[in-house]
Amino acid sequence: MNTLIHWWNLLGADGQHLVVMTAQIVAVMMSVIVSVAMMTYAERKVIGFIQVRIGPNQVRIFGLPFLKGLAQPFADVIKLLLKEVIVPAESDKFLFLLAPLIALVPALATWAVVPFSPDFVLAKLDAGLLYILALTSLGVYGIILAGWAANSKYALLGAMRSAAQIVAYEIAMGFALVGVLMAAGSLNLTEIVRAQSHGYASYVYPWQAAGFLSWNWFWLFPLMVVYFIAGIAETNRAPFDVAEGESEIVAGFHVEYSGATFATLFALPEYANMILVATLASVLFLGGWQSPFEGYLAADLPLASPSFLWLFLKILCFLFCFLWFRATFPRYRYDQIMRLGWKVFIPITLIWIGVECVMVWFKVGPWARVL
Amino acid sequence: MLTTILFYVFSAVLVGAALGVVLSRNPVHAALCLVLAFFNSAALWLLLEAEFLGIVLVLVYVGAVMVLFLFVVMMLDINVAQLREGFTRYAPLGAMVALLMIGEIVYAVWFRQLGVNLAGSAPALAPGSNTAALGELLYSKYMLPSELASVVLLVAIVAAIVLTLRRRPNLKQQDINAQVAVRSIDRVRIMKVDSVTRS
Amino acid sequence: MIGLPHFLVLAGVLFSIAVAGIFLNRKNLIVLLMCIELMLLAVNFNFVAFSRFFGDLDGQIFVFFILTVAAAESAIGLAILVVLFRERRGIDVESLNRLRG
Repeated sequence: MNTLIHWWNLLGADGQHLVVMTAQIVAVMMSVIVSVAMMTYAERKVIGFIQVRIGPNQVRIFGLPFLKGLAQPFADVIKLLLKEVIVPAESDKFLFLLAPLIALVPALATWAVVPFSPDFVLAKLDAGLLYILALTSLGVYGIILAGWAANSKYALLGAMRSAAQIVAYEIAMGFALVGVLMAAGSLNLTEIVRAQSHGYASYVYPWQAAGFLSWNWFWLFPLMVVYFIAGIAETNRAPFDVAEGESEIVAGFHVEYSGATFATLFALPEYANMILVATLASVLFLGGWQSPFEGYLAADLPLASPSFLWLFLKILCFLFCFLWFRATFPRYRYDQIMRLGWKVFIPITLIWIGVECVMVWFKVGPWARVL
Repeated sequence: MLTTILFYVFSAVLVGAALGVVLSRNPVHAALCLVLAFFNSAALWLLLEAEFLGIVLVLVYVGAVMVLFLFVVMMLDINVAQLREGFTRYAPLGAMVALLMIGEIVYAVWFRQLGVNLAGSAPALAPGSNTAALGELLYSKYMLPSELASVVLLVAIVAAIVLTLRRRPNLKQQDINAQVAVRSIDRVRIMKVDSVTRS
Repeated sequence: MIGLPHFLVLAGVLFSIAVAGIFLNRKNLIVLLMCIELMLLAVNFNFVAFSRFFGDLDGQIFVFFILTVAAAESAIGLAILVVLFRERRGIDVESLNRLRG
């Protein structure tokens, strides 16, 4: 113990900071990856429940007699990592192997600016929202490259569909974010959450905390709906999954991938992005770590105090919606997806930004506090 | 110290990526090298504490413009070999011009200091975020130019669409509004048919 | 210590490589467009570096406008390229030698 303290002191202030930061990054990355694993399990269980099936119920943790099926994702991961990686003979081999990594990096790097609790965020970036926009726009590279490098018709078709879809919905998503930053007056995500803490819906008492009514969703409801649906389309999830529609183009951009490359190209980024979209929707529109009962209950009650658990609950709600939609809706046709993105969502967001401008100008609702 | 190492690492990768753009055989590889170049420039701009522009560079160039490039390169069936004709013939001339320019710039900047003294460290930054400062400048002093820039973008959108729009005479299209507005009366006719009893 | 000359030399090297690229890839319109993007990047480098070391934010505003115009330029350039490919079945610059479509 003493030697440990000795080494710690030897590091100096900079070294200690570096070690602490690395530990925090590793902790966040590990929790994201474990959440991805649990998400695949939850997906199979929830959809099984909706379709009156049981879902995975065999694999046990070290043979323990309870929680049967919970170890299924880990068994899947081990299986995927041990399988052979097949590289097609006519492919661009370097890009073929690089594409999964390019898909993975933005999906993990975006977590750097997500505020998990009032005082825990990896990077206190002032331009956090811009950073998120920039990194989510990189996700398309992994898909395009995977589709092109495989030198397969199905893969190229899937990649082009997916890329066009991501580009189309990114615009609507960006406009939804513009609405959020107009409401908060800041690009810093921590500030955005803080700005949602008081005075929104309570028109009569503009300075009072109003719990869940004071969050952004109340005034920006159309933007929240657009953001979440655009997020589903960005992650290529059902019902927007023509890019990998197995009934027409086999599996789209990842048709030639197998084993570990399949896991890093498809499973990990897709689920990590799902969790990210859910997290950002909670942070931007549902008040992040804030309690829904703030201002209604005594402030010292644990139910009314901000904590990570509230954020966690909100994320779970959004993630459940992801699974629910997948189990409920039939797949959209490609032209329908494009029409929804360009002709419905973008006009909605533009109109609502206009409405917001009017509200800001006349100091209505939440903007009454900006005196 | 750390800044110096980072500067040299990023610049080395940047120059390598730029060479890759110029020299690579396949346009897709060239485009990807350009993406790498933009990333390293963004990192270098972050070193210069221009965080807003660094992120915007990634957002605009890597996120939008280069995706467009990749789209076009992948969708067009380009004969690469034919386009490489004359590559070796012009290589000595290109290299010579580049080396000459590099020599001139290094002489002017490094040895002559552009006639003034360029040495000296950067002044301390004003407190507050770079983004906020740029925003304030953009919407006060540069109000009119920023409006003009948005008009330029609008013109570019219209121009790109008009240029690539292709009317094909026999194309069948759906009118989704008409589809949604359809009622059963328009499509289904209910006929009264007398039932016949077969014996 | 990294000073202004370092950045200026870097930008100069970048610009020269782009110029050499225009010499080398005389036929390939796509790579020509990419070289122009590279040149604009080098110019932006100068603006950002001068802005930082002279403590004047106006240079960064200029970069912002250059980015806007460059995005518009590449969008229109690529649109023209697609039209050219449709007309000539190739993107050789030398097929652009007639004024009628």
